[in-house]
Amino acid sequence: MASGDRIRGAFIGLAVGDAVGWPAQRHRSGLLAPWSRRLGRELDTFAEERRITTLPVPFALNQQVGPLRVGPSDDAEWLAWTARTIGEDRVTAYGELAARDDLRVRISVRVALGNLARGKPPPVSGHDNPHHFDDAAAVRAVAFGAAGLDPRPDAVVTNSGDGVLAASAMAAAVAVAVAGGDVRDVVAAALAELPADTAIGAAARIALEVADRADDAFAAVPELDAALIDHVYSYGVAAAQTVPVALALTVASGGRLSAAVPAAACLPSLADSAPALTGALTGALTGYAALPGRWCEAARTLAGCALPGLAGTDLLDIATELITKGEQHDAA
Amino acid sequence: MTREGTGCERPGRDAQRRIRQVSARAATRSVALDRARGCLLGLAAGDALGRPAENLEPAEIERRWGRLTEIEPGKGGTDDTEYSIFAAILLCRHGSALTSEIVAAAYREEVMPSIDGPMRGAGFSELGAMEALRGGLQPPLTGLWHQHGWSDGLAMRAAPYGIYAAGEPAEAARLVAVDGAVSNAGEGILGGQAVAAAVAVAMTGAEPGEVVAAGLRAVPEDSWTARSLRAAVEVVRGAGGAVDLHDAVVVRDYPWTDLAPEAVALAMAAYLIGGGDVEESVVAAANLGRDADTTAAIAGALAGAGRGEDGVPARWAAEIGPVKGTCLPVVAGRHVLDVAGELVASRERAERI
Repeated sequence: MASGDRIRGAFIGLAVGDAVGWPAQRHRSGLLAPWSRRLGRELDTFAEERRITTLPVPFALNQQVGPLRVGPSDDAEWLAWTARTIGEDRVTAYGELAARDDLRVRISVRVALGNLARGKPPPVSGHDNPHHFDDAAAVRAVAFGAAGLDPRPDAVVTNSGDGVLAASAMAAAVAVAVAGGDVRDVVAAALAELPADTAIGAAARIALEVADRADDAFAAVPELDAALIDHVYSYGVAAAQTVPVALALTVASGGRLSAAVPAAACLPSLADSAPALTGALTGALTGYAALPGRWCEAARTLAGCALPGLAGTDLLDIATELITKGEQHDAA
Repeated sequence: MTREGTGCERPGRDAQRRIRQVSARAATRSVALDRARGCLLGLAAGDALGRPAENLEPAEIERRWGRLTEIEPGKGGTDDTEYSIFAAILLCRHGSALTSEIVAAAYREEVMPSIDGPMRGAGFSELGAMEALRGGLQPPLTGLWHQHGWSDGLAMRAAPYGIYAAGEPAEAARLVAVDGAVSNAGEGILGGQAVAAAVAVAMTGAEPGEVVAAGLRAVPEDSWTARSLRAAVEVVRGAGGAVDLHDAVVVRDYPWTDLAPEAVALAMAAYLIGGGDVEESVVAAANLGRDADTTAAIAGALAGAGRGEDGVPARWAAEIGPVKGTCLPVVAGRHVLDVAGELVASRERAERI
């Protein structure tokens, strides 16, 4: 039976990881007025043109500074949305999103919503999709793992191939962790979902070899960068990179979030989601009570920077709702 | 050359049969050679014409050129032509015995060492595959490892496989996938297979509708490439324009234009719109924008295979010289017309064995 503390740990651990990476502030700055982001882009150009190394950061000027404080962004919001809609038919749930124009979403999700609107149902919506390989579904799969449910009907809406395998691996790993498994069990559960002849399967095995050689999570960072990331492409959300990094850093840290998540944030290309996935796995392994308290406080409250309807929502409440649903299900 | 007999004797019955066979083979050869030359010349011309229109919207193309019909003088082609020549060289060497390991070795030994500074004009798939090769990976993992399996990098160099396996679309599709496993995966390989199979049938002089149907038959019905191709064919049947074609196959929410399902569909749509005429097909493709050098190159390869060398406008042919090796130094100095001849000759050698 799943531990409530470990489910809370998975949720808040993901939110802490989501808050740690540099992209969180970029996402959260979406809550500021568009002119401040436009000025930010102009300052980038200024730095380029004048050969200046003083790089601009998101800034509030005369607006509320709250969005720019350390806090969770898109991944925590998608986890919350998934937990809340977990019992709904997926096409219906996404259909409601497709009708909205106030969301900020990944390329895979944007294309999938477009596909649904054009009459391409899942799995085509996730397959005919240039970013079918990303980890959007893997992030959402944390909710399915915590609930002991199959993540694939949800994953195939936005992803295909490695993107769906990643969701299966994350759900399996989280399910084992919240049921009381240790690091070794978690990794074995994930690997069982990742065939060795896929990119994600091969990368996961390479990443775990790196982890075995490393003294600790931080020490593993340069070799993970060299072994997994080609730096050829313009985006760093490939599940075949982020999920193997999360597994490797979970191992290298002995399952400790405080060591694993900051190390994940040290891979700038993957800093949008690898820390979040790492936080979910390590948080699920130790449980919520063992997580650093000030980080939990900083990461609990959703900003609404991706899914505006969730602004102000306490992610801990969402986790508790899922736990309560699970207990009612078990009792019935 | 030594001559036997006086030349005045009437040849015997056996000799007459031999002469008939030889002349039939020579005729076949001249047709095959003409189509092969037309195919690669059309490809090079499309590459060169489409080059300045790459990544532009049709409206912007119209604003700049009205209709883009002239190759920028002296600029030549891009990676499409050079990678096609490279693929053709490997085919001439190995023919049907080509393996992914041979292709990977060619990248390692002939492409990667000669790159001095940044690679120009290569696609994400080739650059990602070369990074994977540098990391010690082997195909097919090299094609899966990076995230651009769907790139049109294979479709852009698929034509030589169709020339080599003229009339045999299944063999053309098999061979191009052997190459593709090094740099691509999934839809990127399917895009290459659709083009190679279509060129193989275009080399027989088939009508454009039949050629595109052969391309479609080479890929699974339940694939993005097939869905995209069918959607494009339907737009052309309904006499739709650029906007309709873009609506049908372009992924608006993605910033790069090198998706094989999109590029192959636009190229084949342009070829159908042009009715198989080289100039019409290539101009139609270039003016659709997106990955215009690649789509126009594919349209040019299909139409050139069907119409032969004389089908390519002389003013375009005059702009096609030996390639500079800007993208692939290893092919510098090679001319598509010579490469076409070598492809046909190596195919003939293979047939005689």
